[in-house]
Amino acid sequence: MLTYTEVENVEGEAGNFNVTLLRKPRYIKEDKCTGCTVCVEYCPVKYPDQYNQDISLNKAVHVYFAQAIPLITYIDESCLYLKEKKCRICEAVCKNDAIDLNQQPVKEDINVGAIILAPGFEPFDPKVREEYRYGEFQNVVTSMDFERLLCSTGPYAGEILRKSDLKHPHNIAWIQCIGSRQVIEGGNSYCSAVCCTYTQKQVILTKDHDADAKCTIFHNDVRAYGKDFERYYERTQNLPGIRFFRSYPSIVKEDPVTHNVTIRYSTPEDGVIEEEFDMVVLSIGMNPPKGVEDMAKQYGFELEEHDFCKIDPRNPMLTNRPGIFVSGALQGPIDIPESVFSASGAGSQIGEMLQYRRGNLAKERIYPEEKDVSQEEPRVGVFVCHCGANIGRIVNVPGTVEYCKTLPNVVYAQEQLFSCATNSAREITDKIKEEGLNRVVVAACSPRTLEPLFRDTLREAGINQYYYEMANIREHNSWVHQKEKEEATEKAHDIIRMSVARACQLEPLQEFDLPVDKRALVVGGGIAGMNCALSIANQGHEVHLIEREKELGGIANRIHTTLQGLDVQEYVKDLKSKIYQHPLVHVYHNAKITEATGYVGNFVTTVESNKGTSSIKHGASVIAIGIDMYTPTEYLYGQDERVLTHLELEEKITSDDEKVTGAQSLVMIQCVGCRNEERNYCSRICCSESIKNALLLKDKNPDMDIYILFRDVRTYGFNEDYYRLAAERGVKFIRYEPEDPPVVEPGKAEDKRDVLKVTATDYILGKKLELDADIIALAAAVVPSAATKEVANQFKVTLSPDGFFKEAHVKLRPVEFATDGVYLCGLAHYPKFIQETINQSYGAAGRVLTLLSNDIVVASGSVCAVNEKQCMGCGACVEVCTYGALELKETKQGKKCVVNPVLCKGDGLCNTKCPTGAIQLRHYTDTELTCEIDVVVPDDEIMKQIDAAAAADA
Amino acid sequence: MENVISLNENIKELCKSRAAGNFGDVMVVGGGISGIQASLDLATAGFRVYLVEKAPSIGGHMAQLDKTFPTNDCSM
Amino acid sequence: MEIIAPFQEVIDEIKEKGGDAVKYCYQCGKCDTVCPWNKVRKFSMRKLIREATFGISEIEKEEIWRCTTCGKCPQRCPRDVKQIDDMMAIRRMATGYGVFAGPVKPYRTVASGLSGQGNPFNEDRKTRAAWADGLGVKPYKEDMEYLYFPCCYCSYDPRLKKVAQATAKVLKKAGVSFGILGEKENCCGESIRKTGNEDLFKKLAKENIKAFVDAGVKKILVSSPHCYHTFKNEYPMFKVNFEVVHISQLLPQLIAEGKLTLSGEYAKKVAYHDPCYLGRHNGIFDDPRDALKAVPGVELTELPEARMDSTCCGMGGGRVWAETEKHERFSNIRVEQALEVGAKELITACPYCITALEDSRLVMNHADDIEVKDITEVILEVM
Repeated sequence: MLTYTEVENVEGEAGNFNVTLLRKPRYIKEDKCTGCTVCVEYCPVKYPDQYNQDISLNKAVHVYFAQAIPLITYIDESCLYLKEKKCRICEAVCKNDAIDLNQQPVKEDINVGAIILAPGFEPFDPKVREEYRYGEFQNVVTSMDFERLLCSTGPYAGEILRKSDLKHPHNIAWIQCIGSRQVIEGGNSYCSAVCCTYTQKQVILTKDHDADAKCTIFHNDVRAYGKDFERYYERTQNLPGIRFFRSYPSIVKEDPVTHNVTIRYSTPEDGVIEEEFDMVVLSIGMNPPKGVEDMAKQYGFELEEHDFCKIDPRNPMLTNRPGIFVSGALQGPIDIPESVFSASGAGSQIGEMLQYRRGNLAKERIYPEEKDVSQEEPRVGVFVCHCGANIGRIVNVPGTVEYCKTLPNVVYAQEQLFSCATNSAREITDKIKEEGLNRVVVAACSPRTLEPLFRDTLREAGINQYYYEMANIREHNSWVHQKEKEEATEKAHDIIRMSVARACQLEPLQEFDLPVDKRALVVGGGIAGMNCALSIANQGHEVHLIEREKELGGIANRIHTTLQGLDVQEYVKDLKSKIYQHPLVHVYHNAKITEATGYVGNFVTTVESNKGTSSIKHGASVIAIGIDMYTPTEYLYGQDERVLTHLELEEKITSDDEKVTGAQSLVMIQCVGCRNEERNYCSRICCSESIKNALLLKDKNPDMDIYILFRDVRTYGFNEDYYRLAAERGVKFIRYEPEDPPVVEPGKAEDKRDVLKVTATDYILGKKLELDADIIALAAAVVPSAATKEVANQFKVTLSPDGFFKEAHVKLRPVEFATDGVYLCGLAHYPKFIQETINQSYGAAGRVLTLLSNDIVVASGSVCAVNEKQCMGCGACVEVCTYGALELKETKQGKKCVVNPVLCKGDGLCNTKCPTGAIQLRHYTDTELTCEIDVVVPDDEIMKQIDAAAAADA
Repeated sequence: MENVISLNENIKELCKSRAAGNFGDVMVVGGGISGIQASLDLATAGFRVYLVEKAPSIGGHMAQLDKTFPTNDCSM
Repeated sequence: MEIIAPFQEVIDEIKEKGGDAVKYCYQCGKCDTVCPWNKVRKFSMRKLIREATFGISEIEKEEIWRCTTCGKCPQRCPRDVKQIDDMMAIRRMATGYGVFAGPVKPYRTVASGLSGQGNPFNEDRKTRAAWADGLGVKPYKEDMEYLYFPCCYCSYDPRLKKVAQATAKVLKKAGVSFGILGEKENCCGESIRKTGNEDLFKKLAKENIKAFVDAGVKKILVSSPHCYHTFKNEYPMFKVNFEVVHISQLLPQLIAEGKLTLSGEYAKKVAYHDPCYLGRHNGIFDDPRDALKAVPGVELTELPEARMDSTCCGMGGGRVWAETEKHERFSNIRVEQALEVGAKELITACPYCITALEDSRLVMNHADDIEVKDITEVILEVM
């Protein structure tokens, strides 16, 4: 990892690039700096902190941010010595001699086989247009500024304060589309795709900070198009004191005394309203990364019209230069999950390219040998984390450390600013060795994300990782007791006391090494499944691709072109032939899964297909079963043949059906079957699908009147350009509200021809518009495939509230399930465009390869174990286990339960059913849990309370 | 932060093994969430990766965010 | 709620008359929020554009005539809807049908005056140069540098004649070579064009161009930003390109070159009002300020809405001839703003603005509190 480093020159070709790097001087010796920040304390220069959006000040020598990697300081250009050859205080105070003010830039040459470009984006700078008043009015901030204000590591330690008076703003306005969706100078024509939802997030968090806060959002279409976004939007709308206005406002003036900001907005009913706010947040969009033109020249890739990377819609991770791939926001304005899976996808393609040299250079990590401490007396070390200010601001951390030292078996305790920081983890390892610790408690945050890190820390010190225990004094304490500092400190004591008690009872557990079957199974042969299968196969793994239909292709068989003009049928044909020609891909048609068993690395799936019944062994499973389309019951669909779905319309446009292409007037109605109570999500693709069809129709018949009745036009990203293009071509857009949907009735036009009369309210006109339609096209919702539930049960994976498959983490693990070894891509995850599907299917392949390229996987040691003496063989546990990890076996003592530790996920359900307590989940045994309860309240205290209660009764 | 930190930890460990040579398989330019993910995947899948970041720390814009939608998970 | 059907013939007519850009509108409402009308009454450009989109514009109502073409909304419109062109298209349609709502009824008489006498007041064409009597201003000859084109208001209006006279005096003092065309010139036609009378505009423009060409004019010096705008940006549609200079551009140049020496003391706090057609439409913000800053002793202050955000005086787009309710005049706001910043004089560089501001000053009983002047009048005083 090379930080503070620029790429200076790139030469060569795929497989052999010579790269010259320029390592900028940190003026700090990286190997000597401990990140102690003594130098920062003494540095006399105060300088706006870039990480905190220049809101607060930092020093010339500083750590980039509290959890920076690497956690060492650097000296920036504000340094007095670098500017004027003065000062040098830092050199004097550094105990480690880590300051080197004479450092020069260093060039370094490296040779690599492939390059991934992931330079991200640049936030739009509102200063380019004076109308936003950014930098002029003190209480106008950008959303990036506001993000820092919200954050506990931010400029005011998590307090939202105004710059003008350092007071809390209670009445805040957000203005959407700053720099986006505009064709005026300095703006971007595209939609930045993330601002609507991040604004809702900021509103929710603002309400968390200040329940009485009034929040107003000014927008023009709320684009809640992503997975679970619609529910999130609804959640925001339902908070008290929240208003959404469909008007881009103007920022008019700043009160010279209060520094409140006045803005004007337009309403159809009451005209223009002028209103004062304590703070205005500009929801800024995304620009291409800084210096993208130079970058394009340097790497030899082309830019598209908005200056993002020009990509091939059939493979959005490719640049025009072989061996150079692109992931993340350089593809265009995208959200985090797309950034993540395009990264995995680019990785997968590099895997295809450099398959021949895989594993030659990587090194395995070696841990020290584990010491057996099970016979020793417990020697517990407690590390109390400040979590910056997250915990330290509420809980008295030094006092808590002192308290810890009084607890039985605790031989060592200390505080840490961020226990999760690299140096802190190292400190824990060191202390274990120095102090001879054999149990460690870290009092910090939730074990969900950091437990693996700290367990690893113990392994580094040669201690069994299950001797680690986490006390959550953040989520369970400082975050929820912000106003009760003393009580929170006491509660921290209680929580830590419990953890220490448990730590003393913990047993060392061993994890399992499981062999990995090198084959993969891909369920579903649409665009997603085929791409994923090909990428895996191209990296030398056999793939079994199963398709329930006779034909590969899935829903794409019904799509002929994309908005950008990709010939989908040609593309699918090409994919199919690649699949059939690939020696490592085995295709099963008319296939149905009858049984799926096994676990990560070792699955066995039984399939009935054109090949008969096959039992397929594989190490990884990919779910790519696609979607179904909603069959409308609304707007005379099924009753009048002039009413079509948008896919039917597309088919008729392609086949040049005269009734459609010759129509005088055509009306499209959006959001049919979704964004309602039953399906509370947005189908994401329909706005663009309808615009695509409208443009195709205008090509064939420029005189056709086309109306699109919408709720919000959700042409996010570059598709916004097509929204404007459709308007340019004369397509008319009319917004309707769900409470007042369009009405469709048969009738006659002025020229006496039979038409369908569509009546809809236009809110700007304040009138109802009556449209004559020869054809009506309904944007029917994308719905989860009918097979979803069955497949979910077979592979033991879960579904989201809307019935699509639920990924492990919406942002960071978007192509895998919580169930190990099972991966996800395509529309089965959520509706998305072909380009996004391709990104995601390569992404899933990339993740599959992180499994299949290893020979073993490690399974948890925290699984159930049966005490055979106590087991009565009743089988209650076997029934409740969802993972098939338990079975009854005949023994000499009768039927006894046996655990397959590899399948056991440690959910503990069986424990609750066992009438004799024979089955126990290791690491969560009764002893380990009850000891915690025992120390919550001391015995004598309980007795006192019982006595008091008895006395009161008497 | 935990998310990125734990990713970062892994990356750091994987990159510790960078030997004296200057020969790798892949260079990833940009240490934001996308670059980190790409580096991790490739390293886990058996390649040696150079992750090059122009800022003094990896993390990118995501490290500046407080929380992420629609789950309000901590962004770090 | 009223039910209405889109009217294709009208949609087509608006398109044909230059209002095609209405189709781009996505109803964000930005235009309404910057429109000066919404400071004095309820008015929705968004609604007018929406009506035009469906061909249901109400040409019999005053709303279509309100836009003063100040240029604020097209400057901010994210979708480039070209509101001024759209409003002109609708007005062309109304003019075509001869439909004029009450307050814009005077447009008919104005048109006949322009048509007959070349000025909106129906004053005798022969007296067009009367403002210059006794000033020694010569008729334009080919060897002169500038044709000075004073504008109808400066030629006939008693208050604005003073501006023309001040200009002539300043020019003479600075030794600028200039002449006038007098009765040979017509109104520039800018404002009548904005009322939708394209034919009349073309007639006026063609006659002017003929007069300019016949006289061998190359550089035109103007007092009105409206003349400036149409000569510079609209006359080229007739395949002519004159060099056009506004007096406020020439003044700082003359000062810088030492041709004008400002000796007097002008110890007053003044505010400068940017005329829409000088500033927003043509980007001339600094020259007039530079000229004022050169005046000894003057304290130049800025109004709350200045430069790109300047508030219209209300006279553009033909409104100079329309009846506007006393309490609905934008110039009232401007006078108030000037008083708020403590200005004793409100200086500008447009005959329409002066007309409006002078009027507001009187109507609002601020005649003793503030004066309204053209920039040339200030320069003249300190020469």
